[in-house]
Amino acid sequence: MSDVSLLKYYFNLIMAYCTYYFEYAINMFADYPAEVKVAVSVTVACVILMLIMSGALLVLSHKRKRFAKIQRRVLKRFGEGMDYMLSAEAKDKMSRQEIAEVFGIPPEQIGKDILKNNREKEVFVHEFYMRFITERSDYANRDNITSLLYLFNIPEFLEKEVSLRSMSKKVDAISKIRTFKLPVSPWVINKLLNSKYLHVKRLAMYSNIMLSSDTDLDYFETDFFDKYSCIKDEIELAYSLQRRRRAGLKLPNLARWANLQKNEQSQCMFVRLMRRFDELEYCDQLTELYKTQMRKKKLIEEISRTWGYLHYTDGEELLKDALLTQPDDTKVAIMHALTRFATGNAIDSLLEGYHNTTNPHVRFEALRCMYNYGEMGRAKFYELEANAHERDRKFFEFFKNPITLDRIRLDKEQAYHPSVETVYNA
Amino acid sequence: MWITIYYIFCYLVFGYTMLLMLSYLYLVIMSRKAQGHLSVNMPDDETIKYFLEGSPLTPAVSIIAPAFNEEVTILDNVDSLMKIDYPNFEIIIVNDASTDRTMELLINEYKLVEVPYDIAMKVQSKPIKRVLKSTEEKYSKLVVVDKEHGGKKADGSNAGINVCSNKYFVCTDVDCIIEPMALYRMMWFVVNSHRPVIGVSATMLMSNGCIVEDGRVVEAAVPNTLVPMFQQLEYLRSFLISKLGWSSINALPNISGGFGLFDTDVAVKSGGYDSTSMAEDVDMLLRMVTYMKNTGQDFRLGQVPKVCCWTEGPGTVKSLYRQRVRWARGLFEIISNHRKLFFNAHYGPIGAFTLPYIFIFEFIAPILELTGFLFMIWLILTGGVNWDSAIILFGMIYLFSVFMSFFVLYFDYSAKAVEWKNTKISYLKLLLVTLLEPFIYHPIITYCSNVGYWRFISNQTAVWKPIQRRGVKKKK
Repeated sequence: MSDVSLLKYYFNLIMAYCTYYFEYAINMFADYPAEVKVAVSVTVACVILMLIMSGALLVLSHKRKRFAKIQRRVLKRFGEGMDYMLSAEAKDKMSRQEIAEVFGIPPEQIGKDILKNNREKEVFVHEFYMRFITERSDYANRDNITSLLYLFNIPEFLEKEVSLRSMSKKVDAISKIRTFKLPVSPWVINKLLNSKYLHVKRLAMYSNIMLSSDTDLDYFETDFFDKYSCIKDEIELAYSLQRRRRAGLKLPNLARWANLQKNEQSQCMFVRLMRRFDELEYCDQLTELYKTQMRKKKLIEEISRTWGYLHYTDGEELLKDALLTQPDDTKVAIMHALTRFATGNAIDSLLEGYHNTTNPHVRFEALRCMYNYGEMGRAKFYELEANAHERDRKFFEFFKNPITLDRIRLDKEQAYHPSVETVYNA
Repeated sequence: MWITIYYIFCYLVFGYTMLLMLSYLYLVIMSRKAQGHLSVNMPDDETIKYFLEGSPLTPAVSIIAPAFNEEVTILDNVDSLMKIDYPNFEIIIVNDASTDRTMELLINEYKLVEVPYDIAMKVQSKPIKRVLKSTEEKYSKLVVVDKEHGGKKADGSNAGINVCSNKYFVCTDVDCIIEPMALYRMMWFVVNSHRPVIGVSATMLMSNGCIVEDGRVVEAAVPNTLVPMFQQLEYLRSFLISKLGWSSINALPNISGGFGLFDTDVAVKSGGYDSTSMAEDVDMLLRMVTYMKNTGQDFRLGQVPKVCCWTEGPGTVKSLYRQRVRWARGLFEIISNHRKLFFNAHYGPIGAFTLPYIFIFEFIAPILELTGFLFMIWLILTGGVNWDSAIILFGMIYLFSVFMSFFVLYFDYSAKAVEWKNTKISYLKLLLVTLLEPFIYHPIITYCSNVGYWRFISNQTAVWKPIQRRGVKKKK
């Protein structure tokens, strides 16, 4: 009997048994009411599901054990080398041979597959990645890391992983390519720019911004971010642009992207990124947006902050004109921007900001701005203190206590954080 | 006529049971789906930290922890909170006019001095007497609020909200043990959502039986006594199946008062915690949802499957009884106060699905179970039981309940929700309580629920008594 017919024989036998017992069970409960039949079916289904889950648990446990075994093996052989490469001792550029020596690899093995299979490569790159992100080594030499990964054929492995169907593997591989800034073939990332999975598509976009020398970056010409944008997108974009700038590549015109978006959240994101990347030269392109989108409160706030941080003094008149007509939070953002301009022309506006509101938060911030507005502002501040109404005296206490005063100074703030405008309550 | 009533009741109970099992199955499928989604979107802790730690965009969080007469543990607890790993957070300890040395210890240990304050009472709380901050840079994250006695945690939390200056706040108990990476895990949900996140719930487990060192759970273990063991299984089921399942359709009904993250602005606009409520956490969340829906704003509620917080639960049947009676009263109160949300699609999936589910399957179930139990006794006494069918039906319910608990263990293992010290022993213990639960624990809970309902209906005064804590094991 051949193998195939033997298999067929056993299959038919098992099926015959199953059919027999299934019919037996049906006949056994034939005279019972429907609800009992349902109960029996549910019971059998529960037992089958529990058996399946037990099997899945065993498989999963086996997989984890196998991973741990390979992990031990890889770490025993290369663990010390990994640590060395991230230490201060490896901060100077090393040759491929030197790196191989660190890992105890004989010269004749260079250029060959040092790691036996993909599983070992997966473990190796995972371990190195975890060390890299956990230690955040300031000494790590990027060139050495790239050479090391090439020595172990990791870029090739990651390129293959990106092409796999598993979404989690794709995402994992792209993240590693980005973190290590590996110069993989452009097609690897580019073909994912049209992925049906939003998550993969975005990661591919961010990787492309970071790795591509192309300056077009035309994905933002569409309304892609109008539908979906979150804080993570902004962090990813900032990270990619920062890496791009460090690599000496030209940054895109973010004001243009801000103008192309319809969604307020996406517009705000690009305006914030402008001040993060000092795009003073494009600030004038926000003027139109400022004039036409007055109803978008958050956007007006972000534009005001960006102009303030970047010292776009041409916008001062626009901000002064808008100050009293805006909602309270926007008023605060505008007053901060005027303070940062420090042209000496806005003291009256700050005073108006103080007097024309009943909101204590706005009054406090107006005082804070005056306090930080050079000598002229400080003089006005003391004048107001001397004549302050009993109700307002508590504000001035904040400026006398060293603990709270520390948060009042505007020069200590990070240029990117909007929460600097909330000192008052704590 | 009695025969007709008998048949109607029997079929009603059978239909109810089938529907309940179907709803559980649905939650199982949804939680599994959510886990699949998270496996792609939620990387490991180190990656999240790498991503958020260095970014100025990482949202700031205020941790609010009310304290009343905690002189024995307050310093350990504040030290433990200080060790939370997150780049941008403040700790607000609200002293609810403790009559012991709580305040004195805090002032001396952290070199606190009074700072100017002008608290705009954004939400209702008893007056704040003073706000204190440390003169030392290393304690700059700490804010201590000294207020008049409110008597309820909700009042203390509201005082904390009034002082809070960050976009998000986490409400916790001062004696909870928080995982160092908890805030990262929760904030990852916030930064990763395309819709404004108004609340994130985190998985919370019992610290009974765990080993604690330096304010951290270093060895997670299933408790050794039966009452906390049952609760551990119940908590796992609640967080990993129920809440995760509901969160996948944005219909999370509750963010635990023990450890939950909220959007400060939305919480304030919804009125904060209600100190008269017995279920202030559910109550506030439902008001937040109502506010968002009534103002036409989109929102997202999330659940973090990994354990973020450990709390000491009732260790005896007596304290469990007190806690569950209170919870049952709270549930009745929620149903009564928020009835307009029930079966109301205007309030989204929470109004259309979760609250009806809670009403039908959580609120009514104990009443129906008690009735069924009494009915069964009557049938036994009158010889009206068909034992073959009864055993088969009971077998179905029993096996389904075992299946649910089994799924939780499978889920926990595959998602690595808890890093047990000894996975095999922990799972064996949990499997044991799975088999015993329908006979021991479930009847107790059913009884407590009915007592709670009765006390609510009969308008008996609710007296809140804290759980008698035995303390956690410390590593030698």
